[in-house]
Amino acid sequence: MTVVPARSSEWVRPVTSQQPASAIIEIDRVSQVFQTSARKGHVALSDISLTIDERAFVSILGPSGCGKSTLLYIVGGFVSPTSGTAKIKGRAITGPGPDRGPVFQEFALFPWKTVLGNVMYGPRQQGVRAAEAEAQSRTLIEMVGLKGFENFYPKELSGGMKQRVALARTLAYHPEVLLMDEPFGALDAHTRTRLQNDLLNIWERDRKTVLFVTHSVDEAVFLSDKVVMMSNSPGRIRQVIDIDLPRPRRRNELLLDPRYQKYVVDIERMFDDGDEGGPAL
Amino acid sequence: MMSPAALIRRAAPVLACIGLLALWQVASLALKNDSFPTAIEAIRAIPDILGDKESLINILASLRRMAIGFGLAVLASIPLGLLMGRSRGVAAFFNPLLMVIYPVPKAALMPIIMLWLGVGDITKTLVIFLGVSLPVIYHSFEGAKAVEEKMLWSGAAMGLSPAQRLVRIVLPAALPEILTGCRTGLVLALITMITSEMIARQSGAGNILFNALDMGQYDTVFAMIIIVGAMGICLDAIFERVRARLVRWSEPQFDIPLSFS
Ligand SMILES: Nc1ncnc2c1ncn2[C@@H]1O[C@H](COP(=O)(O)OP(=O)(O)OP(=O)(O)O)[C@@H](O)[C@H]1O
Ligand SMILES: [Mg+2]
Repeated sequence: MTVVPARSSEWVRPVTSQQPASAIIEIDRVSQVFQTSARKGHVALSDISLTIDERAFVSILGPSGCGKSTLLYIVGGFVSPTSGTAKIKGRAITGPGPDRGPVFQEFALFPWKTVLGNVMYGPRQQGVRAAEAEAQSRTLIEMVGLKGFENFYPKELSGGMKQRVALARTLAYHPEVLLMDEPFGALDAHTRTRLQNDLLNIWERDRKTVLFVTHSVDEAVFLSDKVVMMSNSPGRIRQVIDIDLPRPRRRNELLLDPRYQKYVVDIERMFDDGDEGGPAL
Repeated sequence: MMSPAALIRRAAPVLACIGLLALWQVASLALKNDSFPTAIEAIRAIPDILGDKESLINILASLRRMAIGFGLAVLASIPLGLLMGRSRGVAAFFNPLLMVIYPVPKAALMPIIMLWLGVGDITKTLVIFLGVSLPVIYHSFEGAKAVEEKMLWSGAAMGLSPAQRLVRIVLPAALPEILTGCRTGLVLALITMITSEMIARQSGAGNILFNALDMGQYDTVFAMIIIVGAMGICLDAIFERVRARLVRWSEPQFDIPLSFS
């Protein structure tokens, strides 16, 4: 089911445990204030500081409206923060770039392109030859379980299928950092599990940096090295928890692992203790 | 074998035309007015017009002006509309201008344009151009404005420059809306074409029509109305074919039948 993307060799570097982790993304005292007619000076993010290590899988967990998407957009360079700075590899983020690949909550597929056309778009833009881009894209489409749907238009797909196309489209151009905004939110439990496994497989092989927004505590613990818990109004980082579980992670083993269970229970309890309530599950 | 329902659907436009002509025939016979010939008289005059070399040249000249005016208007209006839809500055600059031009019947500008540019092709083509431009600009503007922001962000992340995003994302995303504007523009092109020839008589389909009116040849007048109407229907049908092909990806998949039975 999972296949190595053709250019993956570019990403595979020997990772030794002694190698000091270096920061790829540095978010320094970032605040975001929205001026709307309804709410003057709505503080979506307040004083967020966060460092994300190269090749780390970091999840952002928090209630709806706490600014998770906004934080992702700032790292993506789509939104510039009201104050504070975000850096990638030491350089200030001034705009979007192919080093950071977003997977949006709203999919944002190109409706005039077929599934294949959507997935090929990035590689083609990056100058990959058509035949090569197509072969890679077909592999990715198969990986996300959409073989046979290559020539379908987005309007002919279900929500979950669109989400998988969006994921494949971003993976296709090999961004160094994946910015995923609830990418599995609209999927059924079965597909969700399957894609979580696939994502982990890709990630364990390629070791891209992943910033992953989710509502699901299980998902965050299962996937991540680090879980960033956020709280609402104003959006703040509540706590950052290191998930110290062995890799490669196998779902059936992990679910039985008391350490995994403890992380899940602890995080859920922490949200319950908070006055703003837990994340919507 | 076609089902009866499909058969009716196919035959419906033809039946509608025949019904209209029959109604016309009856009304004309009942009114017995010299300036209102019967449908049969009008239809009989059609071959005379189309068989006449002079008339044919006139009609072709009209169509040429219309094609040029329409083509240039579409080429100029789509980029302007798209830019307005994506840039507040551009919109702020052009909106007041367009607001002023919008309610003015373009043919009303003709006397002035004739003063500047004469009564020839340039004046008439320019009036057609103006008539077509506004709906195309408006629909391109609305289409560009409605493009989902995240789609543009996705493009930006893939490395598309702002200009590339305009051409390769905003343009295709807004295409259904743009083509709706073009369809309106096409009908307006036909209308302004005839009106311009009414004001600056010299050549063209409108010229034949209004000359016949002056001379009291009412069967020719009505024959020309039928010819212009038929041209409109044909152009629209061809355009609709092209449009449907270009935006197949956005059409609703099933038309839900409104059952009357
Ligand atoms: N463009 C905007 N203009 C005004 N307010 C905004 C804008 N974008 C976001 N907000 C506000 O900022 C807050 C955070 O929004 P954001 O979309 O980042 O939340 P989220 O954590 O991603 O929520 P969810 O889990 O529901 O997706 C919300 O209160 C929202 O109303
Ligand atoms: Mg969100």
